[in-house]
Amino acid sequence: MVLVLALGDLHIPHRAPDLPAKFKSMLVAGKIQHIICTGNLCIKEVHDYLKTLCPDLHITRGEYDEETRYPETKTLTIGQFKLGICHGHQVIPWGDLDSLAMLQRQLDVDILVTGHTHQFTAYKHEAGVVINPGSATGAYSSITYDVNPSFVLMDIDGLRVVVYVYELIEGEVKVDKIDFKKTTAAADSTH
Amino acid sequence: MAILPLPMEPTETLTETTLVSDRSRRFGDLRGVQWRIDLGILPSSPSSSIDDLRRVTADARRRYATLRKQLLVDPHLPKDGSSFPDLVMDNPLSQNPDSMWGRFFKNAELERMVDQDLTRLYPEHGSYFQTSGCQGMLRRILLLWCLRHPEYGYRQGMHELLAPLLYVLHIDVERLSEVRKTYEDHFTDKFDGFSFHENDLTYKFDFKKFSESMEHGNGSGKGSANASNLTEVDPKIQTIVLLSDAYGAEGELGVVLSEKFMEHDVYCMFDALMNGSGGAVAMAEFFSPSPFSSSHSGFPPVIEASAALYHLLSSVDSSLHSHLVELGVEPQYFALRWLRVLFGREFSLEDLLIIWDEIFACGNCKLNKLVENDFDASSGVLDSSRGAFISAFAVSMILYLRSSLLATENATSCLQRLLNFPDDVKLEKLIRKAKSLQALAVDANNSNPLLTQAGMFERSKSTVVRGHSLSLDSTSPRTPLTSVPDSYWEEKWRVLHKEEERKQDASEKQAPSNRKGWSEKVKLRLSRTESDPSPSSVDKRKKDPKLSVRRSLLEDLARQLGPDEDTENIVVDKHIDEKDQGVENGQDFIDENFACTSEQIGLSGNTGSEENSSIFSDPPSPINGVDNHGNESGRSSVASNSSLDENDGGANTADICGDNPEGSPRPVSDSPDDVSLQSGQNEETAAEKSMVGLKERKLISSKFQWFWKFGRVAGEGLSEKGQATDANKGCSGGIDHDNITGTSTANGGIIISSESSKVETVDQNVMVTLRNLGQSMIENIQVIESVFQQDRAQAGSSKNILVGKGQVTALAALKELRKISNLLSEM
Repeated sequence: MVLVLALGDLHIPHRAPDLPAKFKSMLVAGKIQHIICTGNLCIKEVHDYLKTLCPDLHITRGEYDEETRYPETKTLTIGQFKLGICHGHQVIPWGDLDSLAMLQRQLDVDILVTGHTHQFTAYKHEAGVVINPGSATGAYSSITYDVNPSFVLMDIDGLRVVVYVYELIEGEVKVDKIDFKKTTAAADSTH
Repeated sequence: MAILPLPMEPTETLTETTLVSDRSRRFGDLRGVQWRIDLGILPSSPSSSIDDLRRVTADARRRYATLRKQLLVDPHLPKDGSSFPDLVMDNPLSQNPDSMWGRFFKNAELERMVDQDLTRLYPEHGSYFQTSGCQGMLRRILLLWCLRHPEYGYRQGMHELLAPLLYVLHIDVERLSEVRKTYEDHFTDKFDGFSFHENDLTYKFDFKKFSESMEHGNGSGKGSANASNLTEVDPKIQTIVLLSDAYGAEGELGVVLSEKFMEHDVYCMFDALMNGSGGAVAMAEFFSPSPFSSSHSGFPPVIEASAALYHLLSSVDSSLHSHLVELGVEPQYFALRWLRVLFGREFSLEDLLIIWDEIFACGNCKLNKLVENDFDASSGVLDSSRGAFISAFAVSMILYLRSSLLATENATSCLQRLLNFPDDVKLEKLIRKAKSLQALAVDANNSNPLLTQAGMFERSKSTVVRGHSLSLDSTSPRTPLTSVPDSYWEEKWRVLHKEEERKQDASEKQAPSNRKGWSEKVKLRLSRTESDPSPSSVDKRKKDPKLSVRRSLLEDLARQLGPDEDTENIVVDKHIDEKDQGVENGQDFIDENFACTSEQIGLSGNTGSEENSSIFSDPPSPINGVDNHGNESGRSSVASNSSLDENDGGANTADICGDNPEGSPRPVSDSPDDVSLQSGQNEETAAEKSMVGLKERKLISSKFQWFWKFGRVAGEGLSEKGQATDANKGCSGGIDHDNITGTSTANGGIIISSESSKVETVDQNVMVTLRNLGQSMIENIQVIESVFQQDRAQAGSSKNILVGKGQVTALAALKELRKISNLLSEM
């Protein structure tokens, strides 16, 4: 029962002052074991805040990040799953599933987490899952102003991952849940 | 349809001294079963058959299984089994405590706490207790119990109560497997090969047929026990077989000695132990911080139980009890651990099992029905024969350590001894002793110890003090006894002494006689303490110890106020009388018998001068305040405490003097220290009073005490004289602090200066003490007056020591005292 928080594209302080209050109240230290951040925090203070939620923090570099030493991509293993992180501005067309799948195969991961589009998406295809947690602050993107704040919490339990999506729609937190099951380790790796 | 003979009935004829294991109990060698019966899980009546046992076992196990299902939370399963969970509530980050995830996290937290303790459980028996299977079982059991009883939560120590329960079941199962090996044939499934009688539902073993087919016998194991017929086997083995027969009542679930269901059984045992099964001793109560619901004192049950323990101890061995109380060893310091884990930490596991045999063998029904709803009938947590045995056993443990406890003089080493119970203890002795105390314990538990605790402590403390004080002391001083570091008091002593020296110097004109009188007085005192009083004086002394005390107090006060002819006369008179050895009046005794207080009061009875009177008015209060404060703050040893007791100021000093001459100067110094302290405090609080006067007094008293101390220490008059001269030199006219600090006497002015600063920093609530002082002073005055009247009546008799002038001065001093006391009471 490993809880992994995935979020990104906060754009603090340039495009948004802070996380929405309702999100902040939910994010309590001690429950979450890992944090995956796709990038564009942008400043160190946000990094420190995320560190207080959970010491195990993985970040990749977004184009507006002021910390230059984050990696472009990152992979980690949690339980039976391999996770990959990338900001997503490097993958063009932005948000395109096939291109992202290519990246997933390159990184050889089961779950790929990318951002940049500021829209929540979760695709499942044969190789695995591609998740876009959206923008946690609801900051405007290069593409659109109409952005709902959202983030993703993954509950990894053995061979099964449950993805909880938290969106702030018109001031209310809406939660959705998606179940993914890993077929077998062997089957996955051969794909 | 043969119904097997039941195993033998438990014999009820037991002497007090037999241990449980000696008695032939029904399941003597199967501790697990026996304990389950004792704890109330299994039917305890001798007539219950094996089947009954099995059925009850099965029921209990079923209950546990359902409990487990309920409480072990899988958050993935939607709550209430609905397929459309309300995700807003049921997501992992939900703040809602009712959500599945909320409960999950709470349980996880609890489990973590339990785990912390479990990893440290019985490391010396790690081969069993540290195995993951065992740990898992213990963890689950504790978790489920704590979830079921959220009002108690998990407390450290519960795991130690649980572990031996699991252990005994484990032993039983091992025994079972042993028996299985040796008596294999009895355990084979014969259900297919036999025809059953209708009635023979429960017993699948048809032993007659069985024996026919098994003529050749088992071939294994015990030679003589080569019985093919189960009935011929040792009844104990029979029992084991029946208890573990997989085809008996309730089938496998009813197998009483079962490895598969160990967790269930242990849970039931633990639950019964913690809940007390409706009896009085519920271990869970020991873990709860809130008072027992039916208790009348507001204390947590474990405190009550510890107090009951001490209560029992006091009725069994009051000297040890008072010794412990005197040292300030509260029962719960060690009893908490003893009671909460039922002595689990004090004994090895094997010994502990024997002890628990005994404990569980005692019934647990409440003995004391709540008749009245008042103090006496509070049913404490130990209110059953089991509880009585527990407290009796604890007391027998304390008694075992008696000699080493009585030998220590400080609380920490006492506690150390109590908490590190020796390994090589004869358990049978302890248990026998406990049994003998059990009856007593029942009574002790019935009376509510805690409500009388305060009074009891007071009484016991006063008893202690009384014991230490001489017979002169008729009223019991209520001084708690604490020890004070030596150096501090010695410093104070010296400072006070310095001041006294100064005072002494002020009366330089009478210095020689004063000195002489002083030294004589000291010598007098010394000789008095070391020699027996003359017979006549003895009588008088015995008659009027208080009078004499108070008289000398007065004289001391007078002396302090200012040296005076009359004062000197008094001193001289006393001295003369002492020389004559015709001292019969209590005054001599006063002198001799008093150390500090007498000094404080001063020799001069003359208070005619205004100055004197003003000074007079001030000194007594601080002194008495000092005394009182000394009493209340409870300094140093018994002797000093008694000396400081303002109720019996004189008596106390009498005690000191009459007491061991080699008695440490420290007790004496305490009073001057107190005096100085008090004076200092008085300075702070009673600003309107003439602080100077206070300081003066302090100085004087300290001086005197210093003298006294030196007199004692030195042993004879010589040193005293030397000191006296020194002191006199030290006292240079002025009566203020600076002068004192300026003067550098043999004792060092440094101490004084430090003392003064210390004095200033001291702040206390002397007001109350002063008020008390006033009252005591009035008493003193009355006593003295009566004495004087007596003396006057005996005018001309040899018993009259005081010359007329002295009497007059004494009377005057009395008047002054009265004034002072009035002032004090106004305060």
